[in-house]
Amino acid sequence: MSVDFTLDLRGESCPYPVIYTLEALEGMTAGELLQVITDCPSSFRNVPEEVLKHGYQFAKDPVKNGQEYLFYVVA
Amino acid sequence: MKAILSNVFTRYWNPYVALILAGILSAIYFGITGTVWAVTGEFTRLGGHVLQFLGVDISDWAYFDLVHMQGSSFSRSDGWIVWGMFIGALMMVLFSNSFKIRIPKQKRRLVQGLVGGIIAGFGARLALGCNLAAFFTGVPQFSFHSWIFIIATGIGTYLGAQVTKTRWWKGKPSLTKGNKKPSVEKRRKIQPYIGGMIALVYTGLILFFFTTGKPLLGIAAIFGALFGILIERGQICFTSAFRDLWLTGRGLMAKAIIIAMAVSSVITLFVIIIYGMEPITQIAAPSTFIGGFLFGLGIVLASSCETGMMYRLMEGQVLYLTVFAGNIIGVTALAYAWDHLGIYNVLVASGKPINLISTMGPVGAILATLVMLGILYLLTVYRQKTYRFVGMGFKKGEKKHVS
Repeated sequence: MSVDFTLDLRGESCPYPVIYTLEALEGMTAGELLQVITDCPSSFRNVPEEVLKHGYQFAKDPVKNGQEYLFYVVA
Repeated sequence: MKAILSNVFTRYWNPYVALILAGILSAIYFGITGTVWAVTGEFTRLGGHVLQFLGVDISDWAYFDLVHMQGSSFSRSDGWIVWGMFIGALMMVLFSNSFKIRIPKQKRRLVQGLVGGIIAGFGARLALGCNLAAFFTGVPQFSFHSWIFIIATGIGTYLGAQVTKTRWWKGKPSLTKGNKKPSVEKRRKIQPYIGGMIALVYTGLILFFFTTGKPLLGIAAIFGALFGILIERGQICFTSAFRDLWLTGRGLMAKAIIIAMAVSSVITLFVIIIYGMEPITQIAAPSTFIGGFLFGLGIVLASSCETGMMYRLMEGQVLYLTVFAGNIIGVTALAYAWDHLGIYNVLVASGKPINLISTMGPVGAILATLVMLGILYLLTVYRQKTYRFVGMGFKKGEKKHVS
Protein backbone atom coordinates (compact mmCIF):
# COMPACT_ATOMS: atom_id res chain seq x y z
CA MET A 1 0.00 0.00 0.00
CA SER A 2 1.77 3.16 -1.10
CA VAL A 3 0.61 6.59 -0.04
CA ASP A 4 0.25 9.07 -2.89
CA PHE A 5 -0.42 12.22 -0.87
CA THR A 6 -0.16 13.14 2.81
CA LEU A 7 -2.31 15.79 4.42
CA ASP A 8 -0.66 16.92 7.65
CA LEU A 9 -3.41 18.56 9.70
CA ARG A 10 -1.61 18.65 13.04
CA GLY A 11 -2.53 21.86 14.85
CA GLU A 12 -5.63 22.53 12.73
CA SER A 13 -9.02 22.80 14.46
CA CYS A 14 -12.56 22.35 13.12
CA PRO A 15 -13.85 22.79 10.52
CA TYR A 16 -10.61 22.84 8.53
CA PRO A 17 -9.68 19.13 8.89
CA VAL A 18 -12.95 18.14 7.19
CA ILE A 19 -12.76 20.88 4.51
CA TYR A 20 -9.11 20.14 3.71
CA THR A 21 -9.65 16.37 3.57
CA LEU A 22 -12.66 16.59 1.25
CA GLU A 23 -10.96 19.16 -0.99
CA ALA A 24 -7.77 17.11 -1.19
CA LEU A 25 -9.80 14.03 -2.18
CA GLU A 26 -11.70 16.05 -4.81
CA GLY A 27 -8.40 17.06 -6.39
CA MET A 28 -6.96 13.54 -6.55
CA THR A 29 -7.42 10.90 -9.24
CA ALA A 30 -9.77 8.05 -8.36
CA GLY A 31 -7.85 5.18 -6.79
CA GLU A 32 -5.04 7.30 -5.34
CA LEU A 33 -4.36 6.96 -1.62
CA LEU A 34 -4.46 9.88 0.81
CA GLN A 35 -2.91 9.73 4.28
CA VAL A 36 -4.38 12.17 6.81
CA ILE A 37 -2.50 12.97 10.02
CA THR A 38 -4.69 14.87 12.48
CA ASP A 39 -4.60 15.71 16.19
CA CYS A 40 -7.84 17.66 16.72
CA PRO A 41 -10.08 15.36 18.80
CA SER A 42 -13.29 16.46 17.05
CA SER A 43 -11.76 15.45 13.73
CA PHE A 44 -11.31 11.87 14.96
CA ARG A 45 -15.07 11.57 14.55
CA ASN A 46 -16.14 14.04 11.88
CA VAL A 47 -13.41 13.32 9.30
CA PRO A 48 -14.20 9.58 8.96
CA GLU A 49 -17.95 10.31 9.00
CA GLU A 50 -17.73 12.89 6.23
CA VAL A 51 -15.28 10.85 4.16
CA LEU A 52 -17.69 7.91 4.07
CA LYS A 53 -20.75 10.09 3.56
CA HIS A 54 -19.14 11.78 0.58
CA GLY A 55 -18.58 8.42 -1.05
CA TYR A 56 -14.93 7.64 -0.34
CA GLN A 57 -13.58 4.41 1.15
CA PHE A 58 -10.99 3.70 3.81
CA ALA A 59 -8.02 1.63 2.58
CA LYS A 60 -7.55 0.34 6.13
CA ASP A 61 -8.73 0.98 9.67
CA PRO A 62 -7.75 4.31 11.29
CA VAL A 63 -4.54 4.12 13.32
CA LYS A 64 -4.40 5.74 16.75
CA ASN A 65 -0.93 7.08 17.31
CA GLY A 66 -0.73 8.67 20.77
CA GLN A 67 -2.66 11.94 20.56
CA GLU A 68 -2.98 11.69 16.78
CA TYR A 69 -5.00 9.67 14.33
CA LEU A 70 -3.90 8.46 10.91
CA PHE A 71 -6.54 7.92 8.23
CA TYR A 72 -5.97 6.20 4.90
CA VAL A 73 -8.57 7.15 2.31
CA VAL A 74 -8.95 6.07 -1.31
CA ALA A 75 -9.93 8.96 -3.55
CA MET B 1 -14.80 -4.17 34.27
CA LYS B 2 -11.53 -3.10 32.75
CA ALA B 3 -13.22 -2.91 29.37
CA ILE B 4 -15.95 -0.66 30.78
CA LEU B 5 -13.40 1.65 32.41
CA SER B 6 -11.42 1.77 29.23
CA ASN B 7 -14.53 2.73 27.26
CA VAL B 8 -15.47 5.45 29.74
CA PHE B 9 -12.03 7.00 30.01
CA THR B 10 -10.38 6.52 26.64
CA ARG B 11 -13.19 6.64 24.13
CA TYR B 12 -15.41 9.56 23.28
CA TRP B 13 -19.05 9.11 24.21
CA ASN B 14 -22.05 9.16 21.96
CA PRO B 15 -23.11 12.84 21.75
CA TYR B 16 -26.77 11.89 22.29
CA VAL B 17 -25.90 10.28 25.64
CA ALA B 18 -23.68 13.17 26.75
CA LEU B 19 -26.18 15.85 25.74
CA ILE B 20 -29.25 14.15 27.22
CA LEU B 21 -27.35 13.70 30.50
CA ALA B 22 -26.38 17.39 30.36
CA GLY B 23 -30.02 18.31 29.73
CA ILE B 24 -31.20 16.26 32.72
CA LEU B 25 -28.43 17.63 34.95
CA SER B 26 -29.19 21.23 34.02
CA ALA B 27 -32.86 20.70 34.94
CA ILE B 28 -31.79 19.23 38.30
CA TYR B 29 -29.30 22.07 38.84
CA PHE B 30 -32.13 24.54 38.25
CA GLY B 31 -34.32 22.64 40.72
CA ILE B 32 -31.66 22.82 43.43
CA THR B 33 -30.32 26.34 42.93
CA GLY B 34 -32.90 28.30 40.94
CA THR B 35 -30.21 29.28 38.44
CA VAL B 36 -29.29 27.75 35.09
CA TRP B 37 -26.14 26.29 33.60
CA ALA B 38 -24.50 29.32 31.97
CA VAL B 39 -21.02 30.67 31.39
CA THR B 40 -20.89 34.05 29.64
CA GLY B 41 -22.45 35.94 32.55
CA GLU B 42 -19.43 34.91 34.58
CA PHE B 43 -17.12 35.83 31.69
CA THR B 44 -18.61 39.35 31.89
CA ARG B 45 -17.80 39.50 35.59
CA LEU B 46 -14.26 38.28 34.86
CA GLY B 47 -13.95 41.14 32.36
CA GLY B 48 -15.14 43.48 35.11
CA HIS B 49 -12.49 42.17 37.49
CA VAL B 50 -9.82 42.77 34.84
CA LEU B 51 -11.03 46.36 34.50
CA GLN B 52 -11.01 46.79 38.30
CA PHE B 53 -7.47 45.40 38.39
CA LEU B 54 -6.45 47.98 35.79
CA GLY B 55 -7.89 50.69 38.01
CA VAL B 56 -11.06 51.41 36.02
CA ASP B 57 -14.04 52.53 38.09
CA ILE B 58 -16.92 50.32 36.93
CA SER B 59 -19.30 51.09 39.79
CA ASP B 60 -21.63 53.07 37.49
CA TRP B 61 -21.63 50.63 34.55
CA ALA B 62 -25.23 49.46 34.33
CA TYR B 63 -24.37 46.08 32.81
CA PHE B 64 -22.15 45.04 35.72
CA ASP B 65 -25.02 45.95 38.02
CA LEU B 66 -27.30 43.77 35.89
CA VAL B 67 -25.05 40.71 36.21
CA HIS B 68 -24.48 41.23 39.96
CA MET B 69 -20.75 41.91 40.25
CA GLN B 70 -20.35 40.83 43.86
CA GLY B 71 -17.45 39.04 45.50
CA SER B 72 -14.85 37.19 43.47
CA SER B 73 -15.23 34.44 40.91
CA PHE B 74 -14.33 31.91 43.61
CA SER B 75 -17.12 33.04 45.93
CA ARG B 76 -19.88 32.80 43.29
CA SER B 77 -21.75 29.69 42.22
CA ASP B 78 -21.62 30.86 38.57
CA GLY B 79 -17.86 31.11 39.00
CA TRP B 80 -17.57 27.52 40.15
CA ILE B 81 -19.68 26.32 37.24
CA VAL B 82 -17.01 27.82 34.95
CA TRP B 83 -13.96 26.61 36.91
CA GLY B 84 -15.62 23.24 37.45
CA MET B 85 -16.15 22.88 33.71
CA PHE B 86 -12.49 23.62 33.04
CA ILE B 87 -11.36 21.16 35.73
CA GLY B 88 -13.83 18.40 34.77
CA ALA B 89 -12.80 18.65 31.12
CA LEU B 90 -9.10 18.69 32.02
CA MET B 91 -9.48 15.57 34.18
CA MET B 92 -11.05 13.62 31.33
CA VAL B 93 -8.43 14.85 28.86
CA LEU B 94 -5.69 13.62 31.18
CA PHE B 95 -7.39 10.32 32.04
CA SER B 96 -7.63 9.53 28.33
CA ASN B 97 -4.00 10.58 27.79
CA SER B 98 -5.09 13.03 25.12
CA PHE B 99 -3.45 16.26 26.27
CA LYS B 100 -1.11 17.70 23.69
CA ILE B 101 0.03 21.24 22.99
CA ARG B 102 -1.49 21.82 19.58
CA ILE B 103 -0.18 24.92 17.84
CA PRO B 104 -1.85 26.12 14.63
CA LYS B 105 0.66 26.06 11.79
CA GLN B 106 -1.12 28.90 10.05
CA LYS B 107 -0.73 31.99 12.19
CA ARG B 108 -3.87 33.54 10.69
CA ARG B 109 -5.89 31.13 12.86
CA LEU B 110 -4.84 33.00 16.01
CA VAL B 111 -6.13 36.30 14.62
CA GLN B 112 -9.30 34.59 13.40
CA GLY B 113 -9.83 33.12 16.87
CA LEU B 114 -9.42 36.51 18.53
CA VAL B 115 -11.73 38.31 16.10
CA GLY B 116 -14.36 35.57 16.20
CA GLY B 117 -14.10 35.37 19.99
CA ILE B 118 -14.72 39.10 20.35
CA ILE B 119 -17.76 39.02 18.04
CA ALA B 120 -19.17 35.93 19.77
CA GLY B 121 -18.65 37.36 23.27
CA PHE B 122 -20.21 40.70 22.33
CA GLY B 123 -23.19 39.04 20.62
CA ALA B 124 -23.83 36.56 23.42
CA ARG B 125 -24.04 39.22 26.10
CA LEU B 126 -26.09 41.53 23.87
CA ALA B 127 -28.63 38.71 23.70
CA LEU B 128 -28.18 38.04 27.44
CA GLY B 129 -26.81 34.52 27.07
CA CYS B 130 -24.76 32.26 24.84
CA ASN B 131 -25.62 28.85 23.50
CA LEU B 132 -26.46 27.83 27.07
CA ALA B 133 -28.70 30.41 28.76
CA ALA B 134 -30.18 31.66 25.47
CA PHE B 135 -30.37 28.24 23.88
CA PHE B 136 -29.72 24.92 25.56
CA THR B 137 -30.98 25.98 28.99
CA GLY B 138 -33.09 28.90 27.67
CA VAL B 139 -35.57 26.82 25.65
CA PRO B 140 -36.31 24.54 28.65
CA GLN B 141 -37.00 27.67 30.74
CA PHE B 142 -39.67 28.54 28.13
CA SER B 143 -38.07 31.94 27.66
CA PHE B 144 -39.16 33.17 24.23
CA HIS B 145 -35.92 35.07 23.71
CA SER B 146 -34.19 31.75 23.10
CA TRP B 147 -36.43 31.05 20.09
CA ILE B 148 -35.36 34.33 18.50
CA PHE B 149 -31.76 33.58 19.44
CA ILE B 150 -31.79 30.15 17.72
CA ILE B 151 -33.09 31.56 14.43
CA ALA B 152 -30.61 34.45 14.51
CA THR B 153 -27.73 32.09 15.36
CA GLY B 154 -28.73 29.95 12.39
CA ILE B 155 -28.42 32.95 10.05
CA GLY B 156 -25.15 34.13 11.63
CA THR B 157 -23.54 30.69 11.42
CA TYR B 158 -24.60 30.41 7.76
CA LEU B 159 -22.74 33.63 6.96
CA GLY B 160 -19.77 32.46 9.04
CA ALA B 161 -19.64 29.15 7.16
CA GLN B 162 -19.48 31.00 3.83
CA VAL B 163 -16.54 33.04 5.14
CA THR B 164 -14.62 29.96 6.33
CA LYS B 165 -14.85 28.49 2.82
CA THR B 166 -13.14 31.43 1.13
CA ARG B 167 -9.47 30.97 0.19
CA TRP B 168 -8.15 33.95 2.11
CA TRP B 169 -9.80 32.82 5.32
CA LYS B 170 -9.29 29.09 4.97
CA GLY B 171 -5.60 29.20 4.04
CA LYS B 172 -3.73 26.25 2.60
CA PRO B 173 -3.00 22.94 4.26
CA SER B 174 0.24 21.03 4.24
CA LEU B 175 -0.47 18.57 1.43
CA THR B 176 2.65 16.77 0.26
CA LYS B 177 3.39 13.97 -2.16
CA GLY B 178 4.13 10.54 -0.78
CA ASN B 179 4.31 9.32 2.78
CA LYS B 180 5.12 11.30 5.88
CA LYS B 181 6.01 9.90 9.27
CA PRO B 182 3.65 10.54 12.18
CA SER B 183 4.92 11.71 15.58
CA VAL B 184 6.71 9.21 17.77
CA GLU B 185 4.39 7.95 20.49
CA LYS B 186 5.59 8.40 24.05
CA ARG B 187 5.89 5.11 25.90
CA ARG B 188 5.30 6.35 29.43
CA LYS B 189 1.84 7.59 30.23
CA ILE B 190 1.90 10.03 33.13
CA GLN B 191 -1.18 12.06 32.17
CA PRO B 192 -3.73 9.77 33.92
CA TYR B 193 -1.79 10.10 37.20
CA ILE B 194 -1.84 13.90 36.99
CA GLY B 195 -5.57 13.66 36.28
CA GLY B 196 -6.01 11.48 39.35
CA MET B 197 -4.21 14.00 41.55
CA ILE B 198 -6.37 16.84 40.23
CA ALA B 199 -9.49 14.75 40.92
CA LEU B 200 -8.37 14.16 44.52
CA VAL B 201 -7.59 17.83 45.20
CA TYR B 202 -10.87 18.90 43.60
CA THR B 203 -12.86 16.40 45.69
CA GLY B 204 -11.15 17.86 48.77
CA LEU B 205 -12.19 21.35 47.70
CA ILE B 206 -15.82 20.27 47.25
CA LEU B 207 -15.81 18.67 50.73
CA PHE B 208 -14.31 21.91 52.08
CA PHE B 209 -17.23 23.90 50.64
CA PHE B 210 -19.78 21.59 52.25
CA THR B 211 -18.08 21.47 55.66
CA THR B 212 -17.57 25.23 55.86
CA GLY B 213 -21.20 26.14 55.27
CA LYS B 214 -20.98 26.94 51.56
CA PRO B 215 -23.11 24.14 50.10
CA LEU B 216 -24.15 26.24 47.10
CA LEU B 217 -20.52 26.57 45.98
CA GLY B 218 -20.03 22.84 46.54
CA ILE B 219 -23.07 22.02 44.40
CA ALA B 220 -21.91 24.41 41.66
CA ALA B 221 -18.42 22.86 41.78
CA ILE B 222 -19.90 19.36 41.38
CA PHE B 223 -22.26 20.28 38.54
CA GLY B 224 -19.60 22.38 36.82
CA ALA B 225 -17.24 19.40 36.77
CA LEU B 226 -20.01 17.09 35.53
CA PHE B 227 -20.84 19.50 32.70
CA GLY B 228 -17.13 19.73 31.87
CA ILE B 229 -16.83 15.94 31.80
CA LEU B 230 -19.87 15.63 29.53
CA ILE B 231 -18.88 18.32 26.99
CA GLU B 232 -15.35 16.90 26.72
CA ARG B 233 -16.31 13.23 26.51
CA GLY B 234 -19.17 13.92 24.11
CA GLN B 235 -17.09 16.52 22.21
CA ILE B 236 -20.23 18.65 22.45
CA CYS B 237 -19.93 21.52 20.03
CA PHE B 238 -22.81 23.92 19.42
CA THR B 239 -20.77 25.62 16.72
CA SER B 240 -20.48 22.43 14.71
CA ALA B 241 -24.18 21.70 15.19
CA PHE B 242 -24.97 24.70 12.97
CA ARG B 243 -21.81 25.06 10.93
CA ASP B 244 -21.54 21.45 9.80
CA LEU B 245 -25.12 21.55 8.55
CA TRP B 246 -24.19 24.49 6.31
CA LEU B 247 -20.76 23.16 5.29
CA THR B 248 -21.18 19.43 4.78
CA GLY B 249 -24.76 18.55 5.71
CA ARG B 250 -23.66 16.83 8.92
CA GLY B 251 -26.62 16.69 11.30
CA LEU B 252 -25.46 14.48 14.17
CA MET B 253 -24.67 17.23 16.69
CA ALA B 254 -27.74 19.32 15.80
CA LYS B 255 -30.07 16.35 16.20
CA ALA B 256 -28.51 15.38 19.52
CA ILE B 257 -28.90 18.93 20.85
CA ILE B 258 -32.55 19.11 19.73
CA ILE B 259 -33.44 15.77 21.37
CA ALA B 260 -31.62 16.76 24.57
CA MET B 261 -33.45 20.10 24.71
CA ALA B 262 -36.78 18.26 24.35
CA VAL B 263 -35.90 15.96 27.28
CA SER B 264 -34.65 18.88 29.35
CA SER B 265 -37.81 20.91 28.61
CA VAL B 266 -40.11 18.15 29.88
CA ILE B 267 -38.08 17.64 33.08
CA THR B 268 -37.74 21.37 33.69
CA LEU B 269 -41.50 21.82 33.31
CA PHE B 270 -42.06 19.22 36.06
CA VAL B 271 -39.47 20.95 38.27
CA ILE B 272 -41.21 24.31 37.74
CA ILE B 273 -44.68 22.90 38.49
CA ILE B 274 -43.81 20.57 41.38
CA TYR B 275 -41.56 23.00 43.25
CA GLY B 276 -43.55 26.09 42.24
CA MET B 277 -40.45 27.75 40.82
CA GLU B 278 -40.27 30.84 38.67
CA PRO B 279 -38.70 30.12 35.25
CA ILE B 280 -35.80 32.33 34.27
CA THR B 281 -37.00 34.66 31.53
CA GLN B 282 -34.82 37.11 29.63
CA ILE B 283 -35.85 40.14 27.62
CA ALA B 284 -36.87 39.42 24.04
CA ALA B 285 -35.94 42.48 22.01
CA PRO B 286 -34.17 43.52 18.79
CA SER B 287 -30.96 43.00 20.76
CA THR B 288 -31.77 39.27 21.02
CA PHE B 289 -31.82 38.90 17.26
CA ILE B 290 -28.75 41.05 16.56
CA GLY B 291 -26.88 39.40 19.44
CA GLY B 292 -27.77 35.92 18.23
CA PHE B 293 -26.66 36.79 14.70
CA LEU B 294 -23.31 38.17 15.89
CA PHE B 295 -22.87 35.19 18.21
CA GLY B 296 -23.47 32.78 15.32
CA LEU B 297 -21.06 34.60 13.04
CA GLY B 298 -18.40 34.85 15.76
CA ILE B 299 -18.45 31.23 16.86
CA VAL B 300 -17.91 29.95 13.32
CA LEU B 301 -15.07 32.43 12.71
CA ALA B 302 -13.50 31.48 16.06
CA SER B 303 -14.03 27.73 15.46
CA SER B 304 -15.80 27.46 18.78
CA CYS B 305 -18.42 28.92 21.06
CA GLU B 306 -17.81 29.90 24.66
CA THR B 307 -18.56 26.36 25.84
CA GLY B 308 -16.55 24.41 23.28
CA MET B 309 -13.62 26.73 23.81
CA MET B 310 -13.36 25.52 27.40
CA TYR B 311 -12.63 21.85 26.76
CA ARG B 312 -10.55 22.54 23.66
CA LEU B 313 -8.32 24.81 25.71
CA MET B 314 -7.91 21.98 28.22
CA GLU B 315 -6.94 19.62 25.38
CA GLY B 316 -3.99 21.92 24.78
CA GLN B 317 -5.29 23.62 21.64
CA VAL B 318 -3.38 26.90 21.74
CA LEU B 319 -5.81 28.57 19.32
CA TYR B 320 -8.43 28.74 22.08
CA LEU B 321 -6.29 30.99 24.27
CA THR B 322 -6.97 33.74 21.75
CA VAL B 323 -10.64 32.74 21.55
CA PHE B 324 -10.95 32.95 25.36
CA ALA B 325 -9.20 36.34 25.38
CA GLY B 326 -11.51 37.47 22.56
CA ASN B 327 -14.60 36.31 24.48
CA ILE B 328 -13.58 38.32 27.55
CA ILE B 329 -12.78 41.40 25.44
CA GLY B 330 -16.11 41.04 23.59
CA VAL B 331 -18.27 40.73 26.71
CA THR B 332 -16.47 43.65 28.33
CA ALA B 333 -16.94 45.79 25.21
CA LEU B 334 -20.66 45.03 25.33
CA ALA B 335 -20.79 45.93 29.01
CA TYR B 336 -19.27 49.31 28.11
CA ALA B 337 -21.49 49.90 25.08
CA TRP B 338 -24.65 48.90 26.98
CA ASP B 339 -25.14 52.29 28.65
CA HIS B 340 -22.17 54.39 27.49
CA LEU B 341 -23.00 53.99 23.79
CA GLY B 342 -26.75 53.75 24.23
CA ILE B 343 -27.24 50.13 23.15
CA TYR B 344 -29.76 49.54 25.89
CA ASN B 345 -31.98 52.46 24.84
CA VAL B 346 -31.85 51.65 21.14
CA LEU B 347 -32.02 47.85 21.08
CA VAL B 348 -33.19 46.54 24.44
CA ALA B 349 -35.56 48.97 26.15
CA SER B 350 -38.39 48.29 23.67
CA GLY B 351 -38.41 44.59 24.53
CA LYS B 352 -39.86 42.66 27.42
CA PRO B 353 -39.43 39.23 28.99
CA ILE B 354 -41.87 36.78 27.44
CA ASN B 355 -42.36 33.40 29.04
CA LEU B 356 -44.42 30.77 27.26
CA ILE B 357 -45.79 29.37 30.53
CA SER B 358 -47.30 32.71 31.54
CA THR B 359 -48.64 33.44 28.04
CA MET B 360 -50.07 30.03 27.08
CA GLY B 361 -50.01 27.94 30.25
CA PRO B 362 -47.80 24.95 31.01
CA VAL B 363 -49.48 22.56 28.54
CA GLY B 364 -49.39 25.07 25.71
CA ALA B 365 -45.79 25.96 26.53
CA ILE B 366 -44.50 22.41 26.37
CA LEU B 367 -46.54 21.59 23.26
CA ALA B 368 -45.30 24.70 21.45
CA THR B 369 -41.72 23.93 22.47
CA LEU B 370 -41.93 20.32 21.30
CA VAL B 371 -43.50 21.35 17.98
CA MET B 372 -40.75 23.96 17.44
CA LEU B 373 -38.03 21.40 18.24
CA GLY B 374 -39.77 18.86 16.01
CA ILE B 375 -39.70 21.29 13.09
CA LEU B 376 -36.00 22.01 13.70
CA TYR B 377 -35.35 18.26 13.78
CA LEU B 378 -37.12 17.68 10.45
CA LEU B 379 -35.26 20.59 8.82
CA THR B 380 -31.99 19.11 10.07
CA VAL B 381 -32.82 15.67 8.68
CA TYR B 382 -33.76 17.22 5.34
CA ARG B 383 -30.52 19.17 5.10
CA GLN B 384 -28.52 16.09 6.12
CA LYS B 385 -30.13 13.99 3.40
CA THR B 386 -29.91 16.50 0.57
CA TYR B 387 -26.73 18.56 1.02
CA ARG B 388 -23.14 17.56 0.22
CA PHE B 389 -19.90 19.48 0.41
CA VAL B 390 -18.61 21.01 -2.81
CA GLY B 391 -15.10 22.33 -2.35
CA MET B 392 -12.82 24.28 -4.58
CA GLY B 393 -10.40 21.36 -4.75
CA PHE B 394 -6.66 21.60 -5.16
CA LYS B 395 -5.11 21.69 -8.59
CA LYS B 396 -2.96 18.67 -9.11
CA GLY B 397 0.73 19.30 -9.48
CA GLU B 398 0.47 22.66 -7.77
CA LYS B 399 2.82 23.19 -4.86
CA LYS B 400 0.37 22.75 -2.12
CA HIS B 401 1.85 23.36 1.26
CA VAL B 402 2.77 26.34 3.32
CA SER B 403 4.90 24.90 6.13
